[in-house]
Amino acid sequence: MNLIKSVLFVLITLSIYGCQDVANELAGKKPDDARTIKISMIAKSNSNIVFLSAKEGAESAALNLSDKYSMIDVDVDWNTPDVDDPAVQVEYIRDAVKHKYDAVLVSCSDKDSLTSAINQAVDQGLLVMTFDSDAPESKRFAFYGPDDVEMGKTLMNELAVLLEDKGKIAVLGGSKEAPNLQNRVKGVKEALSQYPGIELAGEYYHAENEDSAISKMTEVIELHPDLNGWAMVGGWPMFGEKLLTVIEPGKYKIVAVDALPEQLIYIEKGIVQVLLAQPTFKWGEIGVETIINKIHLKKDIKGIIPLNPLKISIENLGGWSRQLRAWGYKGIPEKYLIM
Amino acid sequence: MVKDYSHQTAPEDKISFGQKFAYGLGSIVNNLLGGAIGFMSIVLNVGLGINPALVGTLQAIPRLTDALTDPVMGYISDKTRSRYGRRRPYIFIGAIMVGLVFALMWQLPAGNTEMFYFWFFLIGSIIFYLFYTMFATPWVALGYELTSDYHERTRLMGVMNFMGQFAWISLPWFYAIMENDRLFTDSVQGARTLAIVIGVFVAVVGIMPAIFCKEKFVASDQEKKEKSRLLDGLKTNVAMFFKGLVITVKRVEFLKLCAGTFFLFNGIMLVGAFSSYITIFYVCGGDTDMGAKYMGLFGTINTISTLAAIAAVTWISARIGKRKTFIIATSITLAGSLLKWFCYDPMAPWKVLLPAPLMAVGMGALFTLMGSMIADVCDLDELETGERREGMFGSIYWWMVKLGMALAFGLSGYLLNATGFMVEYGGAQTSGTFFWMRLVDVIIPAVAAGIAIYSVAMFKITEEKSYEIRSELEKRRAKKSASDPATQTA
Repeated sequence: MNLIKSVLFVLITLSIYGCQDVANELAGKKPDDARTIKISMIAKSNSNIVFLSAKEGAESAALNLSDKYSMIDVDVDWNTPDVDDPAVQVEYIRDAVKHKYDAVLVSCSDKDSLTSAINQAVDQGLLVMTFDSDAPESKRFAFYGPDDVEMGKTLMNELAVLLEDKGKIAVLGGSKEAPNLQNRVKGVKEALSQYPGIELAGEYYHAENEDSAISKMTEVIELHPDLNGWAMVGGWPMFGEKLLTVIEPGKYKIVAVDALPEQLIYIEKGIVQVLLAQPTFKWGEIGVETIINKIHLKKDIKGIIPLNPLKISIENLGGWSRQLRAWGYKGIPEKYLIM
Repeated sequence: MVKDYSHQTAPEDKISFGQKFAYGLGSIVNNLLGGAIGFMSIVLNVGLGINPALVGTLQAIPRLTDALTDPVMGYISDKTRSRYGRRRPYIFIGAIMVGLVFALMWQLPAGNTEMFYFWFFLIGSIIFYLFYTMFATPWVALGYELTSDYHERTRLMGVMNFMGQFAWISLPWFYAIMENDRLFTDSVQGARTLAIVIGVFVAVVGIMPAIFCKEKFVASDQEKKEKSRLLDGLKTNVAMFFKGLVITVKRVEFLKLCAGTFFLFNGIMLVGAFSSYITIFYVCGGDTDMGAKYMGLFGTINTISTLAAIAAVTWISARIGKRKTFIIATSITLAGSLLKWFCYDPMAPWKVLLPAPLMAVGMGALFTLMGSMIADVCDLDELETGERREGMFGSIYWWMVKLGMALAFGLSGYLLNATGFMVEYGGAQTSGTFFWMRLVDVIIPAVAAGIAIYSVAMFKITEEKSYEIRSELEKRRAKKSASDPATQTA
């Protein structure tokens, strides 16, 4: 009889414990010893939509990971300057140390300014990961972003296909001081050496805004009336609709980096044939996942996680538009969404 | 039009609810065993790092061995003459053994090479499928012979199919259970524990049909003499086996049912993955969270609709007959398939849910009516051959289903590649790729449903014909009983 009572007692206790556990699981309640992992996300600027999309990616990953792993709660705090300002970014990194964050996910506005702040944070026990724009000499444990030389090569290869391996091209290079842009131009020139039928008119630099880019293009077109193509290592001339009145559709073969909503009309009108898109949502998503893999799952992480650009053309304009909407971009014309 | 129908199931043909329930428990076990390996195999790749191609091979090889073991088991069961019957001993031993092997085959020791795991799991799988066949083939055959009544068979299959759905409801949760970090340190440990739980469940629940179901056909003295003959000569038995196999696969009415099942079931299975891909990448633009939410809702609506469809089909078929019911149910699924073309709308993702109940109707009807109709074929076969060979028919039918399913899973990957789908592009696939994905998703099940309707429309065993066959068989059995007083037909 005592044995039966004991067995019953154990079964009832286990049932109560089990039911409570299941109820907690269903209610999403974490165990008392669950750990909160705090990540400070520091992008370049609040006014740039690509970073707002990255923020959505980071928040989505935090939610999913908190849901997946009962023993952790992932919090992402958005600490980003309103405009590009490396000094403010440095300040945010120091704040992260002060407020005992577990990790920092940062896109460096200026690698030289940030390297020492990153190193100090790592020395204080924080994990630092960079995305989009790296500080390669720092003690960050990983970088997620494009290989700019490879991106330049892809840009040139796509242009060569459009030109059927012959013609005269110009490279629109943005700021000559930006190392990532320099690397892309380098990649374009390296790939160009494979195409003897294609002549390089020159590489042209300008301030990174719409007006300066269009002005530089107009100048180059006057200088080289026989120009056939453009390799643009950034999308500056397409940041508004002014270029629509400057370039005749189909006159030039154009391949450019980035495929933001305001650039899509140029694909639709046939002014630009190929855009190389960066999946900006994944900057945040993969950034947070990588940090959790390192902290919670104790996985070995590769120092560089390559981001492969996606080729966007008229064939996948609809799909890309829907993808942008899913990543949190607003104001995408409905005509693209139903393509 | 619903006909004025006066047929009443005779009391001796009725199967008690307890027996139906016990038989239905076998369906839960059967579906659980059929699906568990597939749903748990992700651990082999994610948890143990086995190459996905090797995981695919691990799932494909047992399908080949099934081609031999299924009909052999059917033949052995058909020819068995024991005091416990032709089916129940195998169901009893098979359930215990398959539960045990299932629990053991997932106890993969840590820290070994990829090839070690491959061979460990392959050998385990082959043994598992042998015992699975030992359980499932006689269990299927038992269902065909529990009653001789045309409609009671459908009711039994309705209960069986209804209960079997609960296994399919539980299977998608397996990965979440194995990955639950409150319960297990990792998914491999989760798989080990889950396998033990499933093994115990299978062994305990799987023996219920053997304990509670009564076999209808009991061995006569003459047949008991055959028992010794069964063991006499291997050569004779091999010859008889192949002769029986040929007769079975030449049975035209049986082939029509096989074709109906093959096309309807595999047409839907073949594009199963497409619906998920289109919902996530086209309708939801690559938003996997939103896509998963809609797929989850689709699955829930589909499951509830399947359960409702099974009940409705069982009821309707008693009024208008099995063939007409199948044609109507499959037509609804065909319509649901075509409706998908209009419901994949990126501006209104909720529309993906609309075809779900329609798609469920055909699948709900399929395994309810087919089991019942194969039982009718077994009667016709007995009339023409003098033998009851439910085991052979059941094994070939289910082997065809399993082979078709394996082919469908294998082909779907190639089909997806053929549309130009590139996973790294997420939602940014080309319009051409999305067009082909949608077309394949709509056209294949629709055409397959059309072929299934045609095949079953040609099925000749109507309700009237079935009664004629039964009457003839009963006369024959009565004559046999008169000459052999030991013969009993329950």
